Amino acid sequence: MNTTSRIRGGIGADEGYWAALERGEFAISRCSGCNRWMWPAHWRCGHCGSWDIAWEAIEPVGRIYTWTRNHAVSDVVRERRVDVPFVTLLVELPQADGARVAGVLLGDESGLRIGAPVKGIILPADERSKGYVTMAWQIIGDAA
Amino acid sequence: MSAHNPMRGSTAIVGIAQTPYYKRGKSPDSEMKLALRAIVAACDDAGIDPADIDGFVSYGSERNTAQQLLPALGTRSLKYAALAWTHGGGIPAAIGIAAQAIISGQAEVVVVYRAMAEASNQRLQVAVTQGDTPAQFLVNGIDMVLQRSAMRSHRMIEHDGVPRETLEAVVRAGYHHAQNNPGAAGYGQPVDHAAYEASRWISEPYHLFDCSRESDGAAAVILVSAERARTMQQKPAYLLATAMGASHAAGSREDNHEPYTSVGFIELAERLWAQSGYGPQDVDVAQIYENFSGMAVASIIDHGFCSAETAGAFIRLENLIAPDGKLPINTSGGNIADGFIHGMGLVVEAVRQLRGTSCNQVPGARLSLMAGGPGDSVTSTALFGSADTL
Repeated sequence: MNTTSRIRGGIGADEGYWAALERGEFAISRCSGCNRWMWPAHWRCGHCGSWDIAWEAIEPVGRIYTWTRNHAVSDVVRERRVDVPFVTLLVELPQADGARVAGVLLGDESGLRIGAPVKGIILPADERSKGYVTMAWQIIGDAA
Repeated sequence: MSAHNPMRGSTAIVGIAQTPYYKRGKSPDSEMKLALRAIVAACDDAGIDPADIDGFVSYGSERNTAQQLLPALGTRSLKYAALAWTHGGGIPAAIGIAAQAIISGQAEVVVVYRAMAEASNQRLQVAVTQGDTPAQFLVNGIDMVLQRSAMRSHRMIEHDGVPRETLEAVVRAGYHHAQNNPGAAGYGQPVDHAAYEASRWISEPYHLFDCSRESDGAAAVILVSAERARTMQQKPAYLLATAMGASHAAGSREDNHEPYTSVGFIELAERLWAQSGYGPQDVDVAQIYENFSGMAVASIIDHGFCSAETAGAFIRLENLIAPDGKLPINTSGGNIADGFIHGMGLVVEAVRQLRGTSCNQVPGARLSLMAGGPGDSVTSTALFGSADTL
């Protein structure tokens, strides 16, 4: 995706996250100075002062940290109106020091609860994702 | 008492006003005219000439700037103008900035104001969120602060164990108070348990009634030095303390702040109590900014009025309503049942309580809290007091 069409909002140091998804990888930023995971990505590590921030691919598995079932959306995300109601999540990534990423729940809702294990599925860019390749999440059951 | 803090009791609010609330997009006046009407009415209330205002402070993305208002107010000399960062979290901070301008001699008569009208200012995208939602939310269908707040409240309920009935108590306290406020959007629309439960889901655990109103309107308050306040016609509402900021693990972290279910007031409240010399047990009445009910519940917990463990026992309708509740909140109806001018109406009501002029007066109220927007990446809180609290 042409980076000039990226959304402007927030800190804006997240290009590596989207570029990785476009390559088929799930990557979180990490400080090259002190090795701390950083999410959301930023321009400088507030712990060690390094400006050298890397993107490290990790396995897309985690736990549901919290969720909501959306019954309405604003005009800004009107492309999602066809999906209402849909569940969005914050997914906690233990392998990245507990970083929490936002995503949509895919598939069966049974077992939907805080702490439920989930695995990530990369979805191709479409209108609903505003042209971004995204990571969506599936519940993989209590035994996992 | 922290008598050495230069902020404590050095300034006071001596004029208050707000325009009527109009339904979103229905204001007959432009946003700037609403701002002017509120400011002039606040001057009338204070007994001063609008031309004497020499300082202007607002918050969020207020677009009616001092330089634009100046010609219409006949301002003699503009000496100070500033904007507090973030959204509803910036309200008590704006009052603190106004007070600092007065204490440091930069200005003498400072107005803090907010105006919003949908027709001339795209409220949700410009005035409130400022078009600043990070990509990881937008691409996943998450635009509104509502949806992210719903996720936070959900964890507060399911993980922290705060009963969901506390959300209903906050909503019903607002609607209860609105029944005595003919200007409130929720006037004549009482909400009982059945009505709350029947209210449609917006973003679970929030029903429609858990959400703040959409209004057009403006509100303004006038600050002067405590010395000058004592010579003026209204009973002064002294600013005892205000705290703004964010903790080490907070700020803009796209919901990766810690503790996650806090709405940003834990450290701020500690500073507020230390600077004012009072504690949560001393507060008579509180205006708790409720963009959403669950965020107000977390604000009450963060301020130390109760803990997550005791929230179920404390945050009950009977404790939250005037005149006899342990902590009457949002006594004009609040953002949920009165109206929403980005929370500025809550400041006006906090002052009315100290004057004894609220439509739901807490008898003899001496200490009046106003908590800013919960969950903002930088937020603020303020404590006002009557003369005998100084």
